[in-house]
Formats: sequence, structure tokens, C-alpha cells
Amino acid sequence: MFANLQTAAVKSARHYQRAAIAALLLGAMLFVASSCTKKVDDKDTTINIVLRANVKGLDPIRANDLYSSTVIAQIFEGLLQYNYLKRPFELEPGLAEALPVASADGLTHTFKLKKGVKFQDNAAFKDGKGRELTSKDFVYSWRRLADPKLASEGFWIFDGKIKGLNEWVEAMKTGKATYDTPIEGFATPDDQTLVIKLTQPYYQLYYVLAMQFAGVVPREAVEKYGEEFLNNPVGTGPFMLEKASDWVRNSKITLKKNPNWRGETYPTVGEAGDKEKGLLEDAGKPMPFAETLVFTELTEDSPRWQNLMKGNFEYAEIPNDNFETAVTKEDRTKIQPDLTKKGLRLDITPNVDVTYIGINMKDPILGKNKDLRHALQLAQDSQTLIDKFLNGRGVAAQGPIPPGVSSYDASFKNPYAYNVEKAKEALKKAGFEGGKGLPEFTYDGLADSKARQQAEFFTQNMAAIGIKVKINANSWPQFQERIKTGKAQLFGIAWGADYPDAQNFYQLFYSKNHTPGPNDTNFTNADFDKLYEASLKLPPGAERDKLYTQMRDIVVEEGPWLFNAHRVGYRLVHGWVNNFKWSEVQNDTFKYLRVDPKKRSELKPKL
Amino acid sequence: MFGITLLTFVLFNVVMGDPSLRFAGRHATAEQVASIRSELGLDRPLHEQYIFYVKQIVTFDYGRSWSTKQQISTMVGDAVGPTLSLTIVPFISEIVFCIGLALFAAYFRGTVFDKGIVVTCLALMSISSLVYILVLQNFFAYQLGLFPISGWDPSWTGRWQYLHLPWIIMFTLSLGPNILIYRAVIMDEAFQDYVRTARAKGLSNRAVYARHILKNAMIPIITIIVIGMPFLITGSVLIENFFGIPGLGGMVVKSLNEQDFPVVKAMTVLLSMGYMFFNLLSDLLYGVVDPRIKLS
Repeated sequence: MFANLQTAAVKSARHYQRAAIAALLLGAMLFVASSCTKKVDDKDTTINIVLRANVKGLDPIRANDLYSSTVIAQIFEGLLQYNYLKRPFELEPGLAEALPVASADGLTHTFKLKKGVKFQDNAAFKDGKGRELTSKDFVYSWRRLADPKLASEGFWIFDGKIKGLNEWVEAMKTGKATYDTPIEGFATPDDQTLVIKLTQPYYQLYYVLAMQFAGVVPREAVEKYGEEFLNNPVGTGPFMLEKASDWVRNSKITLKKNPNWRGETYPTVGEAGDKEKGLLEDAGKPMPFAETLVFTELTEDSPRWQNLMKGNFEYAEIPNDNFETAVTKEDRTKIQPDLTKKGLRLDITPNVDVTYIGINMKDPILGKNKDLRHALQLAQDSQTLIDKFLNGRGVAAQGPIPPGVSSYDASFKNPYAYNVEKAKEALKKAGFEGGKGLPEFTYDGLADSKARQQAEFFTQNMAAIGIKVKINANSWPQFQERIKTGKAQLFGIAWGADYPDAQNFYQLFYSKNHTPGPNDTNFTNADFDKLYEASLKLPPGAERDKLYTQMRDIVVEEGPWLFNAHRVGYRLVHGWVNNFKWSEVQNDTFKYLRVDPKKRSELKPKL
Repeated sequence: MFGITLLTFVLFNVVMGDPSLRFAGRHATAEQVASIRSELGLDRPLHEQYIFYVKQIVTFDYGRSWSTKQQISTMVGDAVGPTLSLTIVPFISEIVFCIGLALFAAYFRGTVFDKGIVVTCLALMSISSLVYILVLQNFFAYQLGLFPISGWDPSWTGRWQYLHLPWIIMFTLSLGPNILIYRAVIMDEAFQDYVRTARAKGLSNRAVYARHILKNAMIPIITIIVIGMPFLITGSVLIENFFGIPGLGGMVVKSLNEQDFPVVKAMTVLLSMGYMFFNLLSDLLYGVVDPRIKLS
């Protein structure tokens, strides 16, 4: 008995010994983990930015998604840029010395370059020192954009609009041209002068020149790195990728201040109210303010939100799931008091976009029956959709043009806005009373849960007037294929502005842009086409806006789109971030931002 | 291997449609789509495309990603380190711990310990992996601040701080199913005739378990472990996404979502080869565990 007890005691001792070792190991792990919490440096000006998707490549010709464009815009520059503060959006010189001089017929545009602009230092240059920018660099960069072998998604900005460019593209396909073959539309009389000659008036030219696709790259670097240039970017921008290892793919990109940057000062004039918001406190001060930019790629909402709350990112959009905990119920323009106490503030900026349900106008039933399309629009409850699925972050779209874009008319109301009784009447007029005689339609959407819920909501809306709709959930590529090959009957999608000109939206209805072009609904209307073509020949102004209004009325009346919402972005910004003004059309905004390191070192540890 | 190459080729080149529409973008004209189709080699006859694919497999040159334009070998090389850093530690510790606990449960079968372990395992299994991630990340990292919420450092010294919590979650996730399956395997052996013989010879219960049952149970256990090995690479997509770890799982899912066929095809072939290798390895290990099994 005693021996047994002794054995049991030894066993027990061993057991406790093992448990103690395990506890020690766990404790050590926790200690190591907790010791990782770093003290906040009160001199660190780094700006930490979170991206919701992975960056694909750092080459202007690959700037085809928002996240890649955001990083590209810090490294590369174009001739023009947007004024950071002014609204409506206004262009100003970037690498150009001044806004261009246009010929009387609007077909020739002459740009003078800023003097002394240098590329970032890189091993591609002699002695590793960035050389001076010349007008030939732009021509080289735009040839790359058009090069059929590089198949850039951005070629549309010049396609058919520059004298001799499409001929050069054809000659490149057959090997009859090289990068040294002259193109009439891109002339460089000297190193500081660039002349663009157009085939037709193209009043959106200046806007597209402010897009990241039109950024300038040095030929030496492209030739040195070849296909790896997108991992070794060299531009003229305020920030640079010092070494390739500063980009950890699918994780983090660290950019450093470019010591060669041409220099720029913070704007001295903004829109009304900017001064009161403190957005002019740094007026006239040299930029950029940050020494380093760190872009972290995080695809999931939950860790993004938690990191924001801990001050690991300077700002971020409020995810759907956290909206109620962040914004007060009583007043949707205010955040909860505990967040205010932490120094956070709310930025509300309307997106320049429109969400809609497209109708394939080649469909034998939907495409040929305007009353039926009216019935669908009248049955679509956009406001409930906004309330339920966007937490109220949006305004019901009355037409295709969002606020912030030329010719937008806030007083215009869609005559076919939600009204179930009218929808039933329209359906009767269409010859399908109560939905009788109609086949089941197919709605194509994306497969994620949010998109599926919105699709379900659409089917409920349609069921209310007797129209049956089944859902087809797709991955993005499958969805694109369904639309671009004309297989989709009804499809839920959105369009965000490439630039703040209504033409960017109206091109989506022009019959020469049928799928696989941007006119996804294959809408055809001779009157619309005439107005669209006439609008292209007009400079921005009242005359053009008048045409835009007529085009809007045709689109609303013909109903190839069921309008849903213009979304509104809600972002939380930490108290140590200065000069924050969200812009939907420009990405080169981080040179304007200033972090107050002292304030951050005080506030962040308390989060 | 031929079957795998043919299946993946048919699946991606015939069934899943034309990716050039997706890569051309929403502004593209029909001419630009055709140009991209030509650049991607999709306008060539199918047999030529298949021969090119097989050539890529044989030469281990999978070309570049259609989406990121990176060399696929570089993409895989960059992502394999983070994935293995994430999965190997919980994989090994889970094997040791689960076999130990399964032995313990089997040893005390029918007792309150055994029942407690089984019930706990079932309870652990009934919770979605997403719940573990969300709750543990929120509690340990966000609320208590014991670990970083997310992040990654490619250096060998810096990466570990970001892995502790993912390891704990992966370890916890594997407990339920593994303990139950190992316990079932061990229990199966515990009622074999040779066990009765060993006991009749006067061996203690502990010796029977340690020397006979465990050894014989190792054959199915090795099979289970080897079958689980490909998940070292692909089984951690959610963890990678929530913790911002740039691993292979996330890369494969992104490639699938973006119809980036060269990457998907390369990964399918590499995983199949890995699977075949691990199966061969398990056959070799059978011989080590049980000398009666000889390779012929």
C-alpha cells in the first residue's frame, strides 16, 4: 500500500513537472509575444496604410486596379495631377510646367516639362544616379502602353485618338515597327517639349493624362529589368522602392522618400470649409511630410478593423460588420463617444460611382419591351437595398451620373423610381399582367455572401410583382465572361469613375462600345449615339452639359440599367493624421498627409 | 501524372471559359481582347497548348503569372517559406500531443477520462474554424494584446512573433478530429489476438500499449499523417488571410479566383507530385515500423 502510494506520488510529481515545463514554455511564448509590443517613436513620420487587396505589379501600364494604382501613384508621376483640395475636381500641372496649350481646333496640345526633374536613383542609370527627365521618356512610356506584346489594360486611354498610334500598333504586330519608329501624334521638338496630336477632339485627354496609366518610366530601367520592371519600379515620384526586398509580395510594401524629388509645396487654396477643417494649416510647406510609407495588404475586414483600433493604420474604411459599433444610431454623421475620446474622427466622402442592374438589350424579351424594363425599375426598392446592405451609406441613384461629376443634377428624380403599384401597371402594359407569360429570368452576380444577399433581395423585389428570377452566382472572371459574351440576362454590377467627366459613364451606352467593350448591356439608340458623338466634340461647359442631360433622359427612359445607389465612403481617421481629404479620382495623396509623431506617441499607447 | 495533366488542362482550358475577357478589362474592344488572347497563347490549337503545358511540367518552367506577371517559380519560392513556417510546428506538435492523448484515452477507455476527452473533442469539432480564428484573434491579440493582430516579417528572426497565435489556433483546430481518429485506430488494435497473447504472457497493460499496440497502430497512423501532409501547403488559407501571412494557400485561392491558369496549373502539378512522393514515403515507412512488410 505504502509502495503504491510512493509510486503514485512519484507519478504525480512527474506529472506536475511536465505540466510545469509546459506552463513555462507557454509563459515564455506569451512573454516573447508581449515583449514584441514596441514603444511608439515620437519622431517617426511614417504613414501606415492598409490595402484591402494585394498589389499586382508596380508598373504604370499595369495600373488596372485601385490597390496597384495607389502604390504606383507614389512612385510614378504624369504630366498632370488633381488639385488635392479643390472640388469639383480640378487639374493642375504635375510634371508639366503649366497646363498645356491647345490649338484652336483642339487637335494639338503642347506641354512644356518642368526643368530639373530627375528619376529616382537606380542601378539602371550610369553611376546609379537618376538622370533628368525628357519629353522622349513620355513617348517611350506611352509606346509601352500601346505595345500589343505588353497587352496593357490601359491602352484604351489613347486607342484611336492619337495620330499614327494605332498604325504603329498594327505595324508592331507584324514586326514592321520598333520603339524608334516615329509616331506623328507624339512629337518631341526638344527635351522639354511634348506635342500630342489627336485624330479627333478628345476633351478627356487631360483627365487620362492624370491617370496612373500615363505615368512616365525611364527606358534604361525597363531594358535593364525587362519583365521584372514591375518588381523594380523607377519613377520620378515623391516616394521610391529603395530595394526590391522592401516589397514582400502579398504582405507589405515599404516606400522611402525620394531624395531626388522635384519638390512641391502644399496647396494654399482649397474649397469652402477646408480652412475651418484645418486643411490649410500646412499651406505653402514643402512636401512630402513623411519619410516612409508602409502599405499593408489585409484582405479580411476583422483584422483590418482591429489594427485600426490599435492605431496600426492611420485610417481605414469602416467595414459593414463594425458600422453599428462605430457610428451612432441617432446621427449617422457622428461616431460613438468612446471613439471620439480616442481621438478618432469620421470622414464621409461620396464615392464617384453608381451601382446598377444591367439588362442585356439583346435579350429577345427584356431588350424589346420598354414597359417591361420600366416595370423592373419600378419594382426595384433601391432605398431599402441601401439601408439593408450598405448600412445606409449611399444615395438612391436617379440616373447614371453620380454626384461630383460634370452635369450631375441633384434635383433630377427618376420617373420610374420604386413604386410597386406603378410597377404592376407597367407590367400589365407590357402584356404580362401579374407576370403571366413571362419565363423565369436569370440574374448573374458574384458568389460572395454580400452579393448573394443583394441578389436575393432583387428576386424578392421582382417576386412582389410576379416576375420570377433565379440567381446564378459567379467568380469575378466567370461573371465577366457571362457579361462580355452576352450570356448574362440581368446582372448586378457597378461603375466607378476613371475621371470626373460624365463621358466616362455615357460611353457605357454608346453602341460602338458593345461587348466585349464597356457597353455591357449592348444598348443601342441612334439618338443617344448622335448626342454622344456631338458631346465628344464639345469642350467642358454648359453646351456639353445640355447634351449630357438629354443623354441621361434617353437612358432613364429606355431603361437598360436599373439604378441602385451612389455609394458613400465612411472612414475613421486617427487624431494624429493631418491634411486628410479623401479623393475618389486621385491616388497620389500621401505626399499631402502629415502624421504628428508626438501626438501619435501619446495617443497610440492608450488604444 | 498524365491523367492529372490532362484533367487540369481540360478543366481550365475547355470548361472554365476564356480568361482573356477578364484580363482585357472593362474598357477593352473586341480587337484588344483578341490581342490579349493571342498574347496568352489561347488562340493556338488545343493540342499545341497541351504540348506546351506538358513541356512546362517536364522542364519545371511554368512561365509567368497572367495576373501579377511574376515568374511562377519565384511566386512559389517566396510563398513556400511562410506556409511551412506556419504549418510545420503545429503539425508536428499536434501529432505528438494527439497520439499521446489518444493512447491515454484508449488506456482508460470507458472511464470518465476517456468520455471527457471524447466529448471535448466532439465539442471542439462542432465549432467552425472561422469562429476559432475570429474569437482567438480578437481575445488574445486585440483584447489582451499578447500577440500582434496580424503581420509578417520575411526575416528568419522576425517572423516568429507573428506565428505564435496562428500556431495555437492551428493546433487547437486539429485536436478534435485527430485525437478521435487516433483513439479509434488504437482501440481497434487493443482488441486484436496478439494483444490478448501479450497479456497472457504476463505483460503489464502499460507495456502492452507501449510495445505492441502503439507499434501496430503506427501503420494506419502513418497513413493518416501522410495523407495530411499536402495540407501543410494548402490547408491554411483562412489563417493566412486573417493574419496577413503571404503563403501558398492564399496564393492558390487568389489564382483560382482570378483565373490565373498558369499558377493554378503549376500548383496542381506540384501538389500532385508532392502527394505521390508522400505516398511513396508512407510505403517506405511501413517497412521501418513493421519489418514484416518488405518492398519488392
